[in-house]
Amino acid sequence: MRSLRTRVGLLLLATSMIAASGAAFAEQVTLNFLTAEKDETVAPVIAGFEKLHPDIKVVHTTVPFDSMNATIEARVGGQDSSIDVFLVDSPRVPAMANRGYLMNLNEFRDAADKVSNDVAMGVVSWKGDMYALPLWTSTQLMYYNKDLLDKAGIPYPGAKEEDRLTYDQVVDLAKKAQAAGAKFGFLPEQIDRYYQLQPLFESIGGGSGLTGPDNLTPDITNPKWIEAAEFYSSLFKDGIAPRGVPNDQMSSVFTSGDVAFYIGGPWQFRPFNAAEGLKYGVAPVPYFKGGKPVVPTDSWAVGISPYAAHPDEAKKFVEYMSINPEGALLSVANNPIPPTNEEAYKTYIDGIAALNPDVGPAAKEIMTYELAKNSVSRPRSIGYVAFEEIMNRAFSDIRNGADVTTTLQQAQDQLNSTLARIQ
Amino acid sequence: MNMSARRSFQMVLIVTFGLLFVFPLYWVCISAFRPEDDIFRYLSPLRIWTFLPNRVTFDNIVTLWMSPFARAIFNSIFVAVATVAGGLVVCAMAAFALAVIEFPGRSLVFTVMIVSFLIPFDAIAVPLYNVMRGFGLQNTYLGLILPGIGNGLTVFLLRQFFLGLPKDLREAGLVDGMGYFQIFWRIYLPLSVPALISAGLIMFIFQWQAYLWPLLIAPRTDLKVAAVAIAQFSSAYDVSFGVIFAGAMFVSLIPMIILVVFQQYFTSSVASTGGKE
Amino acid sequence: MNRRRNLYAALFFLAPAIISVIVLRLWPALVAVHYSLLAPRATSYSFENYTYIFGDPVFRNSLWITLIYSIIVNPLQIAAALGLALLMNNRLPTTGFWRTLILLPVAIPQSVSAVIWAVAFRPDGLINAVLAPFGIGPQPFLTSPDQALACIILMVSWVGVGYWMTFLIAGLQDIPKSLYEAVTIDGANRWQRFRYVTLPQLRRPLTFVLVADTVANFLVFAPVQILTKGGPQGSTNLIMNEVYTRAFLQGDRGSASAATVVLVLLVLIVVLVQFRLMNDSGEQSR
Repeated sequence: MRSLRTRVGLLLLATSMIAASGAAFAEQVTLNFLTAEKDETVAPVIAGFEKLHPDIKVVHTTVPFDSMNATIEARVGGQDSSIDVFLVDSPRVPAMANRGYLMNLNEFRDAADKVSNDVAMGVVSWKGDMYALPLWTSTQLMYYNKDLLDKAGIPYPGAKEEDRLTYDQVVDLAKKAQAAGAKFGFLPEQIDRYYQLQPLFESIGGGSGLTGPDNLTPDITNPKWIEAAEFYSSLFKDGIAPRGVPNDQMSSVFTSGDVAFYIGGPWQFRPFNAAEGLKYGVAPVPYFKGGKPVVPTDSWAVGISPYAAHPDEAKKFVEYMSINPEGALLSVANNPIPPTNEEAYKTYIDGIAALNPDVGPAAKEIMTYELAKNSVSRPRSIGYVAFEEIMNRAFSDIRNGADVTTTLQQAQDQLNSTLARIQ
Repeated sequence: MNMSARRSFQMVLIVTFGLLFVFPLYWVCISAFRPEDDIFRYLSPLRIWTFLPNRVTFDNIVTLWMSPFARAIFNSIFVAVATVAGGLVVCAMAAFALAVIEFPGRSLVFTVMIVSFLIPFDAIAVPLYNVMRGFGLQNTYLGLILPGIGNGLTVFLLRQFFLGLPKDLREAGLVDGMGYFQIFWRIYLPLSVPALISAGLIMFIFQWQAYLWPLLIAPRTDLKVAAVAIAQFSSAYDVSFGVIFAGAMFVSLIPMIILVVFQQYFTSSVASTGGKE
Repeated sequence: MNRRRNLYAALFFLAPAIISVIVLRLWPALVAVHYSLLAPRATSYSFENYTYIFGDPVFRNSLWITLIYSIIVNPLQIAAALGLALLMNNRLPTTGFWRTLILLPVAIPQSVSAVIWAVAFRPDGLINAVLAPFGIGPQPFLTSPDQALACIILMVSWVGVGYWMTFLIAGLQDIPKSLYEAVTIDGANRWQRFRYVTLPQLRRPLTFVLVADTVANFLVFAPVQILTKGGPQGSTNLIMNEVYTRAFLQGDRGSASAATVVLVLLVLIVVLVQFRLMNDSGEQSR
């Protein structure tokens, strides 16, 4: 008797639950959003979007940065409908578009064009079509340690464009600071990554390293490339920058007060402000005498999977994040890098300037002119990923003391054979 | 050299090696209690603050447990324990057949088992993902557990052990009218506790260390395992070493507790196997 | 009749393991073989990927590095594991605790262990700080093509030795005490007891550890990926790192699959040789 009643009760409960969830499904669409960011970073933009569209729920899944490609390869490559929207590292757009991992988003071209600059629009396009919407970008500044400069009697470098130092000047100052007690003189943050080092080669006039109609021909052994690579090599040979410190521990060298000049992105403001006893200032990234000023740029863009279960809702979401200034601003509320959306950028940069009254105004000035004038994107090529991988290894070898010309020649050979398989 | 001097010497060696192995972990633990700025500050030259935190903070621990880390630890334990339980049954049965039952094709099956653990798991992760998705197992515990269950290495280990047990056991069982399953269950398994613990250790460590696979098959927040949850504290722009080390501390603490408990079995099982060969 | 009964019984015992091994290991591996036979943009099978990787100096170098690495790391780890097992196989108080400490490194995610060792190996890191008082100048470690592989070996041994030790301790404890008593009466010294009782009795656990350790070392890659990415100058580019680089960083599925197949064949040959050797020496010493 009793067990029967229990059973009926359970049955009723189950039925009502199914009915309830069925009703919920009818009303609400769930969008799956994949990124390499922490939940906190994307929470504000998701909240803003859900408020605007109560019938859409966005579920965020995060995977570690290094595993993002493997994940997309497996899931989007496997035609999995359980990812709708995902962030794309912008230099990978051509390769991913070529493999059919990105939905064509030409319909947003005009709207996106109005709020983003040409650099940002360029990196999300491939062969005339648009495959992602611009989201975030990046730029770099030269941070300096005021105490170490004071000790060496070096005046602080200015923040104006015309105050920009050459690489040789910075190295001279760095050596002076080291003579006065600094452990290291000058170091770029992502010490052996193409993102960080491309400006050296572009500034001196050596080109990006890829040429040809589809950017599939390597060109890294020209005299300019060798000259810039020799300069890079000398930083480590002369002990101006440390060997053997991993990329992700590099900023701790600056926060520990061990380095005079440091090139890094705006993501360092928060950690540097928080570092106890660290007094720092900012100046524009140096350039090569006789060359042009160049800073690295670009970041994540946002794309839609061609196999998305809810493409229409996905479009609303990417439009909100990229084109709607309110959404674009929310996307950087917990994120230190600039939005590509020019309207949102104005509010963003004031926030950056307010972080630290000492360096804020200078940082705002530098970032604004660098983003507008001196940003050079990484080469657009379906072979970019392989190119970057091989270049990073070559840079790492050079930094550890390998012969510059031989290393670049070997990398050139390897690129020739690898890129030939992609053509 | 008398007995007690030799023993003291042995003890000194044991402690020395123990300390050498555990020192890196000790460094992880003290770093977990340091503010982020201090972690890499006192590496060199050696001084007292290399070995002790000069400023102690619990921020890292708090940040860690404010994140869904407790859930991730639960997931890791659940997946590992379920794998060990399921895997022991599956692998012990297979090992028993390969060691005790004579049937045509035995060496072929054994070779297949060996080949299966030569295949680098990371290299087949993407095709395996497609298989599992075909069964609708993405974002499920089963998707996490299943690849750990059929473990060729465990089969190999248990087979080695079963081969070492006297053949008379099987004959005696057959004469008594026992079926193979009874011989397996009543005779072989009870004699194999230490080997089963070793086998369990293999499968436990396999799941505890797993990283790429859980990331692919079950990235949903409530299904994340501990190794993945820890990796989450490093993003493109900032790496929270303090929190990562705090995570590593807890992640190694749990196996430590389990191992200390099972140590007794390792030592108490001596000579229980009786007349060997 | 008996044969058929045996066959059915074997099927019953083996079915779950065989099914899971086939579905979850061999089938995906066959897919990899399929990809390895498809050249880029090709629609029919060919060995082009194989000729490509064997023509590639980077791949040939990685094979060579893997070989050198294996020849050093396997004997080293097994000798260390055996030495520690003999040392730790006793009933002294607290030994169990110290054994656990030695086993513990295997429980930490490899990504975290690699960070620890990256810090240790920094030129301004812990190991150089420890060496300095002994008058040893700063070593370049991971930044030197001559030392990087040794650093990787040190790290994977720190992780692995305690693990393998545990299996050998289990084996040691299965050796009947009576055997030792018997040879002691015959006047055998410590070495003779080790040589004529311990080693032969340990043959099966040793075979297991030898094979499993060799395979594990062939498949090592997270430490390489995090510590050196295969450098400097390819000196730590173990084959598994090469496979990973091709598959996930360069997006070249064909040659990554071909490299995987080569790796599996290589390991298979080595393991078969090991089985042969261990069985032979086992028969002799009996």
